[in-house]
Amino acid sequence: MKNKYAYIQTGGGLERKEQPIDPLSKPSGPGDQESGPKRPETDSPSRDNLMKRMRKVDPKQAEKYRQRTGE
Amino acid sequence: MNSIRLFGIETEYGIAREDVETADPVVESMELVRAYLDGHFTRRWDYQGEHPHEDQRGFRVTELAQDKEEDLFAEQDAHRPFSFHEMKSDLVLPNGARFYNDHTHPEYSTPECRSLKDMVAHDRAGERILWIAAQRRNKVLGGPMVQLYKNNTDFHGHSYGCHDNYLVSRTLNFENLARGLMPFLVSRQLIAGAGKVGREAQERGFVPGGFQLSQRADFMETELGVDTMHNRPILNTRDEPHANRERYRRLHLIVGDANMCEYATALKIGTTRVVLDMIAGGLLPPCELDSPVQAIQALSRDPELNTLVKRKTGGMISGLDIQREYLNLARKFFIEMDEETNWILCEWEHVLDLLERDRLQLVGKIDWVTKWWLLETFSQAEAVGWDDPWLASLDLEYHNLDPDRSLFFGLEAEGRTTPLCQEQEIQKAMKHGPLDTRGGLRGLCVQRFEKDITSIQWEGVHFRGQNGGLHLDLLDHLEPVSVAQCRSVIEDAETPFDMMEAMVLKNS
Repeated sequence: MKNKYAYIQTGGGLERKEQPIDPLSKPSGPGDQESGPKRPETDSPSRDNLMKRMRKVDPKQAEKYRQRTGE
Repeated sequence: MNSIRLFGIETEYGIAREDVETADPVVESMELVRAYLDGHFTRRWDYQGEHPHEDQRGFRVTELAQDKEEDLFAEQDAHRPFSFHEMKSDLVLPNGARFYNDHTHPEYSTPECRSLKDMVAHDRAGERILWIAAQRRNKVLGGPMVQLYKNNTDFHGHSYGCHDNYLVSRTLNFENLARGLMPFLVSRQLIAGAGKVGREAQERGFVPGGFQLSQRADFMETELGVDTMHNRPILNTRDEPHANRERYRRLHLIVGDANMCEYATALKIGTTRVVLDMIAGGLLPPCELDSPVQAIQALSRDPELNTLVKRKTGGMISGLDIQREYLNLARKFFIEMDEETNWILCEWEHVLDLLERDRLQLVGKIDWVTKWWLLETFSQAEAVGWDDPWLASLDLEYHNLDPDRSLFFGLEAEGRTTPLCQEQEIQKAMKHGPLDTRGGLRGLCVQRFEKDITSIQWEGVHFRGQNGGLHLDLLDHLEPVSVAQCRSVIEDAETPFDMMEAMVLKNS
């Protein structure tokens, strides 16, 4: 369903948001372009790489992580 | 109404070395910042504009709560073979941002922005710049030893900040400002919280289990105060305007979380700007809370959003209803509005509505909902409880800047987030400041005349020259017209001397 709020102001007026961007900033091809944001697929992340990514996380990582107090 | 709209975000990143048991945090943060340099570090940042002891309430404190600890660290740091300036490694980048080592955290302060679109792009540009610095540092170290986290806690009771800043008129009475903002700030975490596993207390450790909306709520200890590292206030009273002190204040908010979702960043800054406009227009807060510190923690610790907090005048109210009352006032206040304000009010309403009836639609938009969804799915699939240390580790990895490890970037790569700016806008923001703010002018000076700059800070740039050098004062370049005029002079000049001469001619 089209989200009527899926716009943000730009210098030249309202612009449709572009689709999610690969953080490695690989250029996206025309086939990657879709119109507007979509409803998140909130059924489960298990069928994709996210669960694999989560399983790879060292369970002790937060225990080992130490920082000094900042502001 | 306050017509000057300028805001910016300062983010302190967490930094970890994964190949050694203990690393020197000063050296790691310093080396990380310097890794971004192409050449040698040259000391340029001018600290004279910094006044952390000045209080908006009209006095100056003699001591900050962190002074003793800072003195102790300074004593330790004195044994290192680096000067204070070398350890800080303060850089001003060609996009007008400041990048430096602040209290052992690499800190990226965006240039001043006027639109949410620019704000989001510059916040994302900061992530990219930090990641480039980490890659270069890791190349020297020979592997992915250094990891960076855009979060606010180490799960051991140490917090570091993500501060949002707003220029407001000095004519705005500070007591009215505080009164008008307090309930909004207490409940803003519903839309801008980054989510956290477990509970913490300032330097007193971590209690595993459960999930809360905010990373910072546990560290709020008082309503108002000038401190930032201990006894943290919901509303920081530091009076350091970085603008004409007679005319402006800088509202320096330390209560917020670092957001990964662009949408949450835009709503955090946008709704706060809207509330500030209303306060400047005479808004009385829709409610006042009996105990804001208890309330911010109680609301944070209830992801079901059922908790009610006490009103000062009696009765109870939910976090959602506090936000709704502000939104309702905004709907009445902004009769005619620009497109950005319209976007803010529409999205604010949309989010509050979805938080109540179908919050999973906010996955990829609101950080705490996104993180909760990821961790809940994992918890069920792997049959691990919320008190399992693995969940806190997943929380941490949500914020990792490494695109191959970060849970947020994993989600983004799968198209499940809602980006607000395009890739080329982020790339542009890494190199150039906003065209309509003095942040862009600062960056332009760095691009054109870096070797001539002897000192630089938020309010101006000093160039080498005869009789003490040349000074470009940015203090009053706050309006777009003034910024555009100054920009054209800088662009046309061959040297700083030409630039200053042209400025004099233009003003005569």
